[in-house]
Amino acid sequence: MDAILVKGGRVIDPASGFDGEADVVVLGGRIAAVGKFGEQDVRGQYRSLDHLQIVDARHLVVCPGLVDLRCHVGEPGKDSEETVAHAAEVAIHGGFTTVAAMPDTDPALDTVASALLVRRQSEQAGFADVHPVCALTRNRAGEELAEVGQLVEAGAVAFSDEQRAVDAPATLLRAMAYVSMFDRAVIEFSQDPALSGGAMNAGYEAMLAGLPGIPSVAEELAVARACMFARETGCHYHAALLTTRNGVRAVKRAQRLGVRVTAEAGALHLAFTDAEVRKAYDTNFKLFPPLRTRDDVEWLKRGLREGVITCISSSHRGVAPQDKELEFGTAPFGAVSLETTLGVVLTHLVRTGDLSLVDAIGRLTIHPARVLRLDSRKGAIQPGHDGDLCLFDPLDEWEVTPAALTSFKKNTPLLGQRLKGRARQVVTRGRVFDLRALAAAAK
Amino acid sequence: MLETPTRTWTRKDLLGLEELARDEILHLLDTARGFAEISTRSIKKAPALRGKVVLNLFFEPSTRTKTSFSLAAQRLSADLVDIVKEASSSVKGESLVDTARNVEAMGVDIVVVRHQQAGAPALLARSLKASVINAGDGTHEHPTQALLDLYTIRDKLGELAGRKIALVGDITHSRVARSNIWALRKLGAEVGVIGPRTLVPGALRELGVNVHYHLDEALGHYDVFNILRIQLERQRRGMFPSVREYNALYGIDLRRLKRMKPGVLIMHPGPINRGVEISHDVADGPNSVILQQVANGLAVRMAAMVLTQNARESA
Repeated sequence: MDAILVKGGRVIDPASGFDGEADVVVLGGRIAAVGKFGEQDVRGQYRSLDHLQIVDARHLVVCPGLVDLRCHVGEPGKDSEETVAHAAEVAIHGGFTTVAAMPDTDPALDTVASALLVRRQSEQAGFADVHPVCALTRNRAGEELAEVGQLVEAGAVAFSDEQRAVDAPATLLRAMAYVSMFDRAVIEFSQDPALSGGAMNAGYEAMLAGLPGIPSVAEELAVARACMFARETGCHYHAALLTTRNGVRAVKRAQRLGVRVTAEAGALHLAFTDAEVRKAYDTNFKLFPPLRTRDDVEWLKRGLREGVITCISSSHRGVAPQDKELEFGTAPFGAVSLETTLGVVLTHLVRTGDLSLVDAIGRLTIHPARVLRLDSRKGAIQPGHDGDLCLFDPLDEWEVTPAALTSFKKNTPLLGQRLKGRARQVVTRGRVFDLRALAAAAK
Repeated sequence: MLETPTRTWTRKDLLGLEELARDEILHLLDTARGFAEISTRSIKKAPALRGKVVLNLFFEPSTRTKTSFSLAAQRLSADLVDIVKEASSSVKGESLVDTARNVEAMGVDIVVVRHQQAGAPALLARSLKASVINAGDGTHEHPTQALLDLYTIRDKLGELAGRKIALVGDITHSRVARSNIWALRKLGAEVGVIGPRTLVPGALRELGVNVHYHLDEALGHYDVFNILRIQLERQRRGMFPSVREYNALYGIDLRRLKRMKPGVLIMHPGPINRGVEISHDVADGPNSVILQQVANGLAVRMAAMVLTQNARESA
């Protein structure tokens, strides 16, 4: 058996609250022990070792491998945008070892075969562990239920019609009742479809830009409705990508009433506002839901501080350059984000004092793992868990440039910006990725 | 040979009036005044753009604006090419940027672009070395229309500082309104917008604009009423109940004209829906400067082309 000894780092495990200098032993791809160990201790303890790899973690934070609960992997059918294998590799470069693949593919992830395809591509690639979030309704059309029970068997970690809130209230209510029989969350998209036909946040900036706006009430309506249905059905409702003051408040009200609601913010929505969208009609700022106002960003941060929002996702989406080079109204939504999410969280939440380092890591690890029902294996540094670790230097300042990104697609509003904090080494299920060495080799 | 000073104009493009400083707007208007005289000559030609190529790239139907740019280019002795494209072609066919790069490769100096999408001229300007002049982008800006409106007001009433200008109608979907508001505010005019709440963005108050939902209470306050075309499509989308109600609440007719200041200017960027937003007798009456607006458009567009061209060459 092979072992990895990660030595001398500052180990932060939000699930247990541990924060201190420690060594971590990974044995046969699983966490074996956390404590103070010498090389000889490990060799003495585990007699049958074939190979022991020592990873020097001095001056680095060692945390659980990051868990992304919103990534658009493009397979099946949109593999010119992204593939499972490439997203899984890019994820590693961002410190993510677990990725939830969203079902807005073509066809949607609504069959056992497509769920198995995602798992197989992930296993063959051997990078981050990619799990399918399957469609809640067939072809995400909001009409007939997907085969939820069989999809759970095939590995679905949650259900969502992604990018599309279910149109008819009756359908969503029944779907949530049905899913509540299985131990899975419904990740309902947080924008009412009838009100969200615009290109950017509705308001002062959109008025001046002359672009059709998506009002924040589109979010409040979708979130408030799903909260009511969660109350009625007992289904775990996860509010996808909150972006507005009133979306956060709707979740907070429901949580106070004891409704089973969790919520998530997207990293890029914490870093930018709609004022930046208008500056140059740069389509890299075209996200869905859209970037909102400064006030909304403050409420997202408040929601994160108060624990109303417990997850931060990348919402990664690769878009081909020829598609982003279109008119703002025509260009597709989305930004690549897997490689910058950790840096954005450290720069825009931790350094600003909005979140402690431990809480910030929790929102990237154990909390999303719980939403995806992967917390018995992922998101914590505990014996028996998958040997997934992210080693990062919180002081490593870097500039986001096309060359600095491993992703083939470079569509991010962060281009030209500096971030503080970047993954250095990633361990996943027994493999060690030295990211600086890999980046140097790529050049 | 005409004087075309370039000291206060360094922009290769004219994309909108938001980004222009007060002095730049005044400089363009003053330059236009010099060009207005050409239209009164028997030989209506000046050599300022001789040997230059102007491309009209229109993705939306337009009669007035395209003709005005064409005549302006011809009076400056430029060669002129027209491309009229179907609005949807950018989705399936060649992209906007590719179309423009191709024509640029043929040696175009000025691209006059009208596009149904906000920001399309900015996208072109980033991709091209040629000058880009925005002839209307979606509901964003229509700078030359606003400049000719300002030119007309200045011509009739003198300097704009302290003047009270009202824009009436569908402000939300009007690029003319946005460009007017930016320029009028920069030049110190008081600006009001008047229309139904569904077609007037309240956020304009943040720009220091007066917002009125009732026309009758604002009639006596303004020196100029610039009346915008109402599109019937807005009614179908539930933004106002009927043309009849719109006309009853916001139509400018003789009855309302009588309650305005004497000497009030009635303007309209066209095309006019007679009997809807403006009555026949007001449109053709003594207070109307609608046709002067059209005439002044030529001078303003000549100025825009010469200034951007000079800036591009001296850059």
